Amino acid sequence: MSIITYIVDNWGTLGPQAVTHIEIVAMSMAAAALIGLILGVFAARSERFSTLILGVTSTLLTVPSFALFGLLSIWVGLGNPPVIVGLVLYALLPVVRNTATGIRAVDPAVTGAARGMGMSPIQVLARVEMPLAAPAILGGLRQATVMVVAIATVGATVGADDLGQPILEALGRSSGTLVQVLAGVIPVALIGLTADLILAGVQRTLSRGTAREAVG
Amino acid sequence: MITFDRVSKLYGRVTAVGDLSLEIASGEIVVLAGPSGCGKTTSLTMINRLVEPSSGTISIDGRDTAGMDVNALRRSIGYVIQQVGLFPHQTVAENIATVPRLAGWNRRRIAARVEELLEMVGLPPVEYGRRLPAELSGGERQRVGVARALGADPEILLMDEPFGAIDPVVRVRLQNELLRLQKVLHKTIVFVTHDIDEAVRIGDRVALLSQGGVLEQYARPVELLAHPASPFVAQFLGEGRMVRRLALLSVRDAHLAEPNGSGLPAETVGADASLRDALDAVLRAESGRVTVRDADTVLGVIDSESIREASR
Ligand SMILES: Nc1ncnc2c1ncn2[C@@H]1O[C@H](COP(=O)(O)OP(=O)(O)OP(=O)(O)O)[C@@H](O)[C@H]1O
Ligand SMILES: [Mg+2]
Repeated sequence: MSIITYIVDNWGTLGPQAVTHIEIVAMSMAAAALIGLILGVFAARSERFSTLILGVTSTLLTVPSFALFGLLSIWVGLGNPPVIVGLVLYALLPVVRNTATGIRAVDPAVTGAARGMGMSPIQVLARVEMPLAAPAILGGLRQATVMVVAIATVGATVGADDLGQPILEALGRSSGTLVQVLAGVIPVALIGLTADLILAGVQRTLSRGTAREAVG
Repeated sequence: MITFDRVSKLYGRVTAVGDLSLEIASGEIVVLAGPSGCGKTTSLTMINRLVEPSSGTISIDGRDTAGMDVNALRRSIGYVIQQVGLFPHQTVAENIATVPRLAGWNRRRIAARVEELLEMVGLPPVEYGRRLPAELSGGERQRVGVARALGADPEILLMDEPFGAIDPVVRVRLQNELLRLQKVLHKTIVFVTHDIDEAVRIGDRVALLSQGGVLEQYARPVELLAHPASPFVAQFLGEGRMVRRLALLSVRDAHLAEPNGSGLPAETVGADASLRDALDAVLRAESGRVTVRDADTVLGVIDSESIREASR
């Protein structure tokens, strides 16, 4: 049986699972972006906070995902919630790190001129530092998104009804077939690729001035 | 008027500026000059409080700046730096609009102001307004930096080695443009440079600082070159002071001899020439005498003796 016909035949279950998958990813990335940006700004300002937060977030990445989701399910119950929380924790490192590096890379002459012209610290951040760090921040979001799309499949182990389910079922049964596994894997890869392409487009539009500046 | 009253700035135990007292008159260009690390930038940036003094007061028209709202103070003072610091993600027009925007001007007024400023610094608005800083030459960027600093028409302009990174030819052109603008604008300009030639060219007065922000001499350029107050000043001014000073004096400053019966010398200089140009002409002339002309009118004859007298 070809993989295409399998997916089409089982679209009744696979379709909603794909939607749930996208929802989980979207929610965790939205939260991770918000939290990561704020932490990243503080990390850019303080060397000590930077060391601390990067240490914590990279340690989080070393925890195996099924263990993390399992632990979190004790707190927030089974289903999607532990997966969303866990994915937020995984996504933080690239977002925080890229935000901090992006802001630090802004030419001090540019921020100096901004302050010298009477911008408040918030205005310097919003009008100068953030726009100039945007390409780097988007880079972090891309990395995190691709990673989260893949790891979300492990969420099936704690009851998330996403594209991890067909994979988990196939692996759990002796009668499971490669086609069943691929029926989960291929849509996941497509979602990851699409998300990455969209974010790359956003990154390109936000790179106004900065990319050329780097060359000139 | 900007007044420094016994201003010091210490970094730990290093004195960047020590006990500086200085009066900068409104409408003048005052150049802070001196060797690298002598405290020029520190002195300059204490005016817009990017650096806060450790002691002493700086006042503008009698008002102590320490009591003012710091962002309002900065918006009322134009600021240009050597690295220019244009916002790379904004167009030339957006860059120039920075301070008017912060001050809450409406769109129409900002657009009109941006256009006016671009014209003023010699960059046609239609051609340059929409470019990004990366699409400009160094000299053009510097002009945009000046236009941006003039955004909300501040009374005071602070310039920290604004032409430092520009090649000598363009640099002289930008200096002349600044002098031309100043004739119209009458701003109070504090200009930092470590290039003494630039200092005497553009300054109405020069404040010469030595290590630790010590004021060695504060004088008009002609005075500085003629009478250095200390060996440090003399050394910083370098060789050929009196000859270089001639460049700052005009032929009009000299006493011209009446054209006598023996006929006018063939060599001529214009009435707006400097004494340096006149001396050059005198040295070239067979007779050692040169006719000074203002268009078609003969003003008189100049020779080495009258140049020498005028330069004393
Ligand atoms: N933030 C700082 N922390 C410690 N020392 C500083 C700081 N800023 C300046 N200094 C010191 O203060 C002194 C004066 O510095 P300043 O930048 O005012 O010199 P400058 O005359 O502008 O020199 P240059 O011509 O090289 O720009 C120098 O010795 C410098 O090392
Ligand atoms: Mg300096």
